[in-house]
Amino acid sequence: MSTSGTSNPEYVNARVRARRAALFSDDEYQKLVRMSPAEIARRMEETEYEAEINALGTRHSGVDLIEYALNRNLAKHFDDLLDFSEGQLYDLIARYLRKFDAWNAKTIIRGLYVGADRDSIETDLIRAGEFSDRMISRLLDAGTIEDVVTILNGTIFGEGLTEAYADYEETDLLVPLENAIDRGFYGHLLDDLPNSEPVQLYREFLVAEIDFRNARNALRLARSGADIDPAAYYIDGGKLFNPSELNTLVQNQEELVSHIRESSYGRELTDVLDELEDADSMISFERGIEKALLAYSKRLGNVHPMSVAPVISYILAKEREVENIRAIARGREAGLSQAEIESELVIL
Amino acid sequence: MAEDVKPTRKNLMAIEDRIELSERGHDTLEQKRDGLIMEFMDILDQAQDVRSELSDDYKTAQRKLNMARAMEGDVAVRGAAAALQEHPEITTQSKNIMGVVVPQIESTKVKKNLGERGYGLLGSSARIDEAADAYEELLETLILAAEVETAMKKMLEEIETTKRRVNALEFKLLPELYDNQDYIEQKLEEQEREEIFRLKKIKGKKEDEEREEREAEQEAEEAAETVPADD
Repeated sequence: MSTSGTSNPEYVNARVRARRAALFSDDEYQKLVRMSPAEIARRMEETEYEAEINALGTRHSGVDLIEYALNRNLAKHFDDLLDFSEGQLYDLIARYLRKFDAWNAKTIIRGLYVGADRDSIETDLIRAGEFSDRMISRLLDAGTIEDVVTILNGTIFGEGLTEAYADYEETDLLVPLENAIDRGFYGHLLDDLPNSEPVQLYREFLVAEIDFRNARNALRLARSGADIDPAAYYIDGGKLFNPSELNTLVQNQEELVSHIRESSYGRELTDVLDELEDADSMISFERGIEKALLAYSKRLGNVHPMSVAPVISYILAKEREVENIRAIARGREAGLSQAEIESELVIL
Repeated sequence: MAEDVKPTRKNLMAIEDRIELSERGHDTLEQKRDGLIMEFMDILDQAQDVRSELSDDYKTAQRKLNMARAMEGDVAVRGAAAALQEHPEITTQSKNIMGVVVPQIESTKVKKNLGERGYGLLGSSARIDEAADAYEELLETLILAAEVETAMKKMLEEIETTKRRVNALEFKLLPELYDNQDYIEQKLEEQEREEIFRLKKIKGKKEDEEREEREAEQEAEEAAETVPADD
């Protein structure tokens, strides 16, 4: 629970292994896709989601109950990881879990922007990051976006947000603030990483995540044809593009795809890039890169079982489980066919 | 009612004028009704296509929205939707189809590119882009459907009105005018026949009187010739 002192990967990995074993299997998903949202909630009651379903069952129902229970369970597990870990391991896990801090900061800002009440904003938060409950309460109590920016001063998002706030005031658009928060997260992801071998692999994983994010945004920009400066959405730290390359490649989707094909990720992404060219849909590409990242983290975890890698692999797998169950429940609610729902799931 | 009309030659001429005018009006309205029906059939085909397109677009948009909500979460989707600043604008003009004024709806700023939607790329995904694309497509079809279906409704109302007018002329006004015409013609003929009969009667009476006068004169002459001599 502290960045000082020695790491305790043995202890944390032992706990993570047990939790990983409790994740839903393929067979479980096969059963869930045939169930109605109410049946899914009932089935979740028989699993490790029992406490959350029971706690939220009086206030919510249907798919909302499932979604909030999933988020709360995710937050509980990730909070536990931060509680278990010490020293450098804590720092490595925390810097990745700060994406939930970014999520919460964005959710609160969006809530204030649309005039949502405190309770509905709070329901949408995922308390899985490093922000304490007190900090989150202060953010929720903030009456204006300016107050939120002030409270976040001193966190990794502070500097960027303060600069972006002027843009927000000028344009009344959330984009500068949201970008500043996302940049705050990605910008600090690779800061001061130590040089040991397992950490180098962890770095590679983070670089891959940044590269995939850049590739995804570049392809979206290329397909949209919008007159947007690609540099505004470029995240530093990746190895797939540099800003000037990105500027040129965004003009032509074919060149962009062939650039990704020729990169070190080409082999893993061949199928999804083929699909992208044939089906002209970004969704399968996004699913493909999520799957590639999941596989990559799992491989890292197997190669270095006593490092941060199995923890990161578990974090991704748990997130994926939550997204899969949510997709099944929402898909069933919307009346999607079994095949359609299955095509949206990312299962390794 | 035919009995209410005065059977005069003047009225007959007026009725004949009205019949001519009504028949011309009936033909014109019939042509208008047929023309409107033809136009309506064209619009109906278009409306059916737009309806089915609308239904498909709605299903696609709803499916994409549901998947975006499922994969990105409700909050992210709501946040992205709330970020929009430039809302679509609609202007209406009107055009004339065979005398029926139908609306012509022009929309702007419905289709937007990524830069105009107001949400950031870093915190969103292609699922939100595709849901937004699908909803923009749906909105365009919806505007087209509103235009076509309003035109169809107005055409239908006009066809109904025209049909009622044609029927009123064909089954009410014209038959009444024909009845009045027949009535007056019959009455006038009857009056003519009565006049001829009356004239014939007067003539016969006059002839009888003349004959009686002649006979009386003749008898007086014969009596004068047969008087005996006094010697």
